[in-house]
Amino acid sequence: MATKVKEQVANTGSENNHANPLIGNDKLKQMYVTMLQCRLLEERARNLKKQARFKGHYYAAVGQEAVAVGAGIDLRPEDTVAPSHRDFILNWIKGVPLTAMMSQLYGRSTSPDKGRSAPAHSGYASLNIITPASTIAAQLCIGTGIALANQMKKNDNVVVAFSGEGSTSLGFWHEALNFAGVRNLPIVFVCQNNLWAESVSVKLQTKVEDMSLKAIGYGFPGITVDGNDVIAMYRVAQEAIARARSGGGPTLIEAKTYRWYGHSEIDPAKYRAAEELEEWKAKDPIAAMERYLTGKNLFSEDWKQQIASEFQKKLDAAIEVAEKAPPPEPIECLDYVYSFDIRDRELNRTTYSPQF
Amino acid sequence: MSVTYLDAINAALREEMDRDPNVFILGEDVGVMGGAFGATKGLIERFGANRVIDSPLAEGIIVSASIGAAMSGLRPVAEIQFVDFITPAMDAITQQAARLRYRSGGSQTCPLTVRICYGGGTGGGLYHSQTNTTWFAHEPGLVVVAPATTSDAKGMLKASIRQDDPVLYFEHKKLYRLPAVKEDLPKGEDTVADLFHCAIRRPGEDATIVTYGYMLQIALQAAEKVSEESGAKVEVIDLRVLNPLDHETILESVSRTGRLCIVQEDHRTLGIGSEIAATVAERAFDCLDAPIVRVAAPDVPAIPAAEVLENFYMPNVEKVVDALHRVLQY
Repeated sequence: MATKVKEQVANTGSENNHANPLIGNDKLKQMYVTMLQCRLLEERARNLKKQARFKGHYYAAVGQEAVAVGAGIDLRPEDTVAPSHRDFILNWIKGVPLTAMMSQLYGRSTSPDKGRSAPAHSGYASLNIITPASTIAAQLCIGTGIALANQMKKNDNVVVAFSGEGSTSLGFWHEALNFAGVRNLPIVFVCQNNLWAESVSVKLQTKVEDMSLKAIGYGFPGITVDGNDVIAMYRVAQEAIARARSGGGPTLIEAKTYRWYGHSEIDPAKYRAAEELEEWKAKDPIAAMERYLTGKNLFSEDWKQQIASEFQKKLDAAIEVAEKAPPPEPIECLDYVYSFDIRDRELNRTTYSPQF
Repeated sequence: MSVTYLDAINAALREEMDRDPNVFILGEDVGVMGGAFGATKGLIERFGANRVIDSPLAEGIIVSASIGAAMSGLRPVAEIQFVDFITPAMDAITQQAARLRYRSGGSQTCPLTVRICYGGGTGGGLYHSQTNTTWFAHEPGLVVVAPATTSDAKGMLKASIRQDDPVLYFEHKKLYRLPAVKEDLPKGEDTVADLFHCAIRRPGEDATIVTYGYMLQIALQAAEKVSEESGAKVEVIDLRVLNPLDHETILESVSRTGRLCIVQEDHRTLGIGSEIAATVAERAFDCLDAPIVRVAAPDVPAIPAAEVLENFYMPNVEKVVDALHRVLQY
């Protein structure tokens, strides 16, 4: 499995020694298992959505699992993830309980945000996952503030901020990278270039071939990596995370990948050529990892089936918990606006009269 | 010793930074230069460049980075040099800061303070004179304050920094060095002001003026003039907080006076006066003895630079006196 890494610029003084220490077998298997679980989780979420078991939109990252797994698998709880609108699986990778994730899909009172955000837009405070907004690239800017706080507190926690290639067209994307560069912040920007921003081709998004080139303008390293190669993604991400932890500043990683399905479940994605989809499905990151592990005698179909069936059972149980959980009380619409309660203000409006 | 509104802001920042190591400042020209108006003067010398950060020229990241830092437990005080330049930060303020607590079900919060210089009457022209307070008063999740006095400038800034919500703190540039608002502030006293209520700055029984910011000075002068001319006693309420509005103080006053005049520097349509008038009409209709009158800037895009045009635009004592006569003589 070739590691296609192009280092565009390294002018921060950090060394790129190409040591690429061997990744242990356990880690290889862990990455495979996590990718497979993410795939199963999202296919299940899509099915639930199709069955109208929950309302709202779902934004699947099926086909892109290697990016999130490679970048997220070794993060500490104290590290922050700033997710985009398509990063539901990062919750699982970072350790959020499945019951919380399924409750999120169902908008239950037991969901992390108590029924407020869209199904796939899940945050988790205790694991430092920012609850995302739908406004693109905002999470990168907020991520720089968390990185600034880490720097000021002199701890070695990092921020990994995810976005898509479409986000690079926004001013906010550039404000975030510029600020991270000028303050030398402990943050890694992961640009998941899946070629399509809803229906708009990357060719209409930017003139450069590799998003990583954009890092040159901000004075820190930019790297383009095969986002369907989880080992390449892992190596590049670990190097960037280590650099950020040790005070070496930010990195921009462009992971070239592809989303198999539409922007959301209501998008049939007819704007893309069928051949393009087939070409990318042939580059399925999970199948590729199966071939790699088979070559190392670390894979068998039985093992895969066992992992899958165990995980499906966990999903079944979590879905059951979510389905049985109560929705929020209607009145809770008025909660969590401020640090103080507004129920009384909204519900009990005094009327004045001359006799008052 | 008598201090200016600007001195009060500077003292509040210094005292809060002394008190809490988590408080820091981020903005354009706040460090080496000490702020465009001098509000952060001397702070970089006292607290260093890591706590008084000269930011890149980008309002979006000033507010966004402050949101992230606030989520991490710090107490950022961001500065927007002129409200006219706040638009690049609109997503950060309205979609992120205002919504974070709500969208995370209370699990993630960003207690930041954004100091914002606003206001006309200084010949600043289209892009150094605006009063866009209403954009933010419309956003639940934001606390929006506009101190009109020097003691409030200090006490409300200290309270804003300690408030567990995103607070937009609007400071009027005409008040910065205005001799009329200089005050003796008790030295060494940790005075933290209330962030939830209006203040009655002049008691009266014949009519109520509701206003905020620099317009309080105009309203007080107009009330005095009307009193001298006709003997009418006009109550003047300083809103202090534009969001969430303290309805009760206003309604209680109108229930006594029966007449309401709202004075705002912002232009008329859907300004803060519209909300106050609607609230009084809904909840104190029987108390009104005259139609509600608004004194506001005209609905033009911004304050023109030429002096005669700016004077036409700005509410002033004569316009408020006229409005009071109309309200009182109905």
